Amino acid sequence: MPPSDIRLRQLLASRKGAWSLSLLLGWITLIAVLGLLAVSGWFITASAAAGLLVAGAYSFDFFRPAALIRLAAMTRTAGRYAERLSSHHAVLALLQDLRCRVFGRLAANPASTLQSSARQQHRLVADIDLLDRFPLSVVAPWFWASSILVLLLAFYSWLSPQLLYAALAGLVSGWLLLPLLTGQQVARLARLDADKAEERRVFLLHSLQLRVPLVIWQQWQNRQQKFAALDADYLQHQAAQTIASSRLLLWQHWALALGFLLMLWVAGPLLASGQLQLPWLVAALLAYLGFYEVVAPLTTSFIALGLSQAARDRLNQLGQTQAPASAALNPLAQAGQLAPQLSLQQLQVVHAGERRFDLELQAGDILLVTGPSGSGKSSLLETLAGHLPPLQGRCLFDGQAYDSSSAAGMIGYLPQQFDLFNLGLAQNLRLGVPAATDAELWQVLEQVALADWAKAQPLQLDTPLGEHAVAVSGGQARRIALARLLLRRQPLLLLDEPFAGLDTDSASRVLHSICQHQQDSILVLVSHDVPPGLEQFQERVQQLHFQP
Amino acid sequence: MPVKTATHNNPPPAVSQLRQLQALQKGRLRLALLLALSNTVLLIAQYSLLAWLLNQWLQASINPDFPATAPRMLLLVFIALAGCMLLRPALQYGRERLCLTASVQIRHQLRERVLHALAQPASQLAHSDSEGELASRVLDQVDALDGYLQRYVVQAQLALLVPLLLLVVITPFSGLAALLLLLTAPLVPLFMIILGKAASASSRKQLQALSRLGGRFLDLVRGMRTLQQLQATAQAQEQVAQAAEGYRQRTMAVLRLAFLSSAVLEFFAALSIALVAVYLGLGLLGILPWAKEVIPVPYAGALFILLLAPEFYAPLRQLGNDYHAKADAEAAMQELEPLLQQSGWQHPGEQPLQGSLPVCIQAHDLVVSSANGRLRLQLNSLHLPAGHSLLLQGASGAGKSSLLQVLLGALPYSGSLTINGQDFATLHLPDWLDTMDYLAQTPGFVEGSLADNLRLARPQATDVQLQQALVQVGLGELLAERGLDWPLSERGSGLSGGQLSRLALARLLLRDRPLWLLDEPTAHLDLDSRRQIHQLLQQLGRGRSLILVSHSSTDLDWVDQRLELTASTVAEVPNATV
Repeated sequence: MPPSDIRLRQLLASRKGAWSLSLLLGWITLIAVLGLLAVSGWFITASAAAGLLVAGAYSFDFFRPAALIRLAAMTRTAGRYAERLSSHHAVLALLQDLRCRVFGRLAANPASTLQSSARQQHRLVADIDLLDRFPLSVVAPWFWASSILVLLLAFYSWLSPQLLYAALAGLVSGWLLLPLLTGQQVARLARLDADKAEERRVFLLHSLQLRVPLVIWQQWQNRQQKFAALDADYLQHQAAQTIASSRLLLWQHWALALGFLLMLWVAGPLLASGQLQLPWLVAALLAYLGFYEVVAPLTTSFIALGLSQAARDRLNQLGQTQAPASAALNPLAQAGQLAPQLSLQQLQVVHAGERRFDLELQAGDILLVTGPSGSGKSSLLETLAGHLPPLQGRCLFDGQAYDSSSAAGMIGYLPQQFDLFNLGLAQNLRLGVPAATDAELWQVLEQVALADWAKAQPLQLDTPLGEHAVAVSGGQARRIALARLLLRRQPLLLLDEPFAGLDTDSASRVLHSICQHQQDSILVLVSHDVPPGLEQFQERVQQLHFQP
Repeated sequence: MPVKTATHNNPPPAVSQLRQLQALQKGRLRLALLLALSNTVLLIAQYSLLAWLLNQWLQASINPDFPATAPRMLLLVFIALAGCMLLRPALQYGRERLCLTASVQIRHQLRERVLHALAQPASQLAHSDSEGELASRVLDQVDALDGYLQRYVVQAQLALLVPLLLLVVITPFSGLAALLLLLTAPLVPLFMIILGKAASASSRKQLQALSRLGGRFLDLVRGMRTLQQLQATAQAQEQVAQAAEGYRQRTMAVLRLAFLSSAVLEFFAALSIALVAVYLGLGLLGILPWAKEVIPVPYAGALFILLLAPEFYAPLRQLGNDYHAKADAEAAMQELEPLLQQSGWQHPGEQPLQGSLPVCIQAHDLVVSSANGRLRLQLNSLHLPAGHSLLLQGASGAGKSSLLQVLLGALPYSGSLTINGQDFATLHLPDWLDTMDYLAQTPGFVEGSLADNLRLARPQATDVQLQQALVQVGLGELLAERGLDWPLSERGSGLSGGQLSRLALARLLLRDRPLWLLDEPTAHLDLDSRRQIHQLLQQLGRGRSLILVSHSSTDLDWVDQRLELTASTVAEVPNATV
């Protein structure tokens, strides 16, 4: 089942509990914020009224309002702290889920081509972080603003319908209408943001790469001016988003102000006619003023929305499956395990010129491919591994055409550019064979002549290999990758220069291990020269020599 | 040759450099501050009008004999109130626009300065960063200043001025309330600083953990093909999940502490509002323990104070949100500092080059030291007649590139270096640069077509000239296939390393200068491409002087002279200052 696209509205679904908690806490906090102001205003006004009346002060119950005020203050403080903690907890959990999910998408794509620039990879990480902004900066503020608005309107309608009508226009405009009117434009600008930034960055990068020649050619000034124009353009683009948000805030405040003034206007007659008590009016007014704070985050929510949408689109593009034709190949049957057969029929590969290959390899056969670099040996191996389609002709395994994904598990491949990960030695070896015992790991290390080295390390099997395997030499890294392949049995083993950097003794030892390992399977070896000790297996060997 | 050292005893602190930047837009930022202060003044007016109005209503409701307010008066108050409430958002908008423009201008100018500094070949930067890192610094670090410039600068001043202003206004109404607010005011920044320091120390650890997390994820993503091959993707996904889980736990521990600083602010703000409200309310009831039967603060004043109390803390809260902007900006300035320094030494010469081209280069006892006194090159003698080629070899650190840098006028030297018998130091640099061309290790290209790239070297070249150059360097087939207008872009220029090298040589051909300096032009190529380029150089180098730095010697037998520079001569000589 192909992994589904990322949808913004599903972002909260994976951690419903955490998000619900954080939304609830935020809601409570905001009620406390408005409540504190409203109750304080009511209290002061009511006290003033009571205080002016003779004997009014003594019958006034001030305990409850004062307690309510203190409660509101504490709730506000604790609530905000708790809400921030729970929001970030939810965000970090979401980050975890997203990374796993994106990783899964990339893993499911047979032609995953993310060995591209470092920049693209960093973009990937940044995009996942951007998605986090959607629940935090878009969903939460809108949820809170909308639900608090409903409460506020309910409060006003309880006090007096006229008050409600007076406040309604201002509140609804400030909350919904105005943001909706301008929001789309802002989101659209934000979506383009990353592309413009990239354009500017690439221009600068190229200029810097050619700096000295450009100076010599007296073209640097020219480049500088062009960059200045690109920079100004991008800064303007960013500024446009901020300006739009500021403008939205402006209109929002004007709308809210008009609502407030309207409330005051209708309040006079209401008070005079006794329909409304002054303390409640003051409470209503102060709650209204507190609402400004609730609605303010909505102005910047559209920038977050646009950025999240752009990030989502970029991430979805990544996992897109390539040519559907590749999916049409059936996975190779397990029968290949017993008596594998590889046949090349009129095979022509890139970089090998016009040459055609015709070969039949059976179980126990060893194919040795020699020749200088650049002559096409590695391309042949890539084709045999199913990563490159043949230019002409066919390559069949057990009579079936295959590619890298349909033959997964059947082919062990050590390419020229291989990957070791920033994990421990044992962890790297166990990739693909999680159940391998320590004894088995030592055995394969012995086979590639690394057991002594590993024993000498302080952490032995847990020796960290470092990023890009910096902790070991090039030759050692290659042998570790080879050992990884020797942990399992695969009917076809393809090795590109497995003896690089080895002295004669070690090389012949490794060769012996490999040939033993593959005595019931097929082995293809690419090497600059004939490896020492191959004469032992002469009867199994076929040789292909590549001319430059 | 005097060298202005790049190392200072006291490097200018990032803060003062930030202030210098701010000064560039002094006018705008001052105006923005003024608008913000006016906003506060109008706020005070607004609330005093509101308090007056509500007081009128209170008195009217309690006391039936209270003289009804003149409708005119009410209307005036109402209009004034409306004016305040409508003008204030406009002032806020104005302030935001001004700060935004200031930030944009400053950042734009800063980038221009950096690029201008790079216009000299002598720029120090060429020696330190990769281009990618440099580009990131110029772009991302400068943009990191945005939050500080746009928000923090004005807000920091407001956080001081607004509370003072409000205190001044509140005191006449209630000294006690003012005192209460005043007492809490300095406590808040104090707590914030203490907690903020703890938070920033842990946030540095958090940032490291974050980059490790990103690193783990990317490490596995990069090797996706291998993981698919090994059928180990599920295992890898598990690794990703584990790493993220660990990060989450560590981060939450950090955040619990970090959020305390803002919780403190919230606590004091809420507490003081509550206390003020309760105090004023009880006072209005006349039941304060120390002032029975007395109303210390009448209603109008009390309401006025209550309305202003939250505004007392608002600037500080806002500053708390922008607090990280200052730390980010300081960190960014530290990264940018080396970029902004003057390039130090400039080639001093002013005289035109004499004699015929190609030139004859001679050097005796040429010594080049780096800024901190380390020896980079020591050359006993060199004699390169006109039109000859020279192969420079040696281990890294032996000074091969330094010699080229000297000839580019990018490094000071001691000893004798003459061009056609004329002292190099007296030559006018732009004229000298005009007689030569330079090709570095990884030849770059720019976006645009093949033709655009070629025309960088010679804008006036005709299409025919471009075609001829391409054929001469062996790109005739490519030209036939793709044409001059074929676009090159970052992803998939579609050219191999060897083809890019040839393209670079085509550019050099178009200019056809009599001296070529080539710094490891084939180091990144595979063996066969390397040989082909070296053979090509033999052809193209006829009739010009050529200085070639290369590790490999394959197919370079045609070179007239060979010079081996050894690092041992460099190491032998003790630290000698120039």
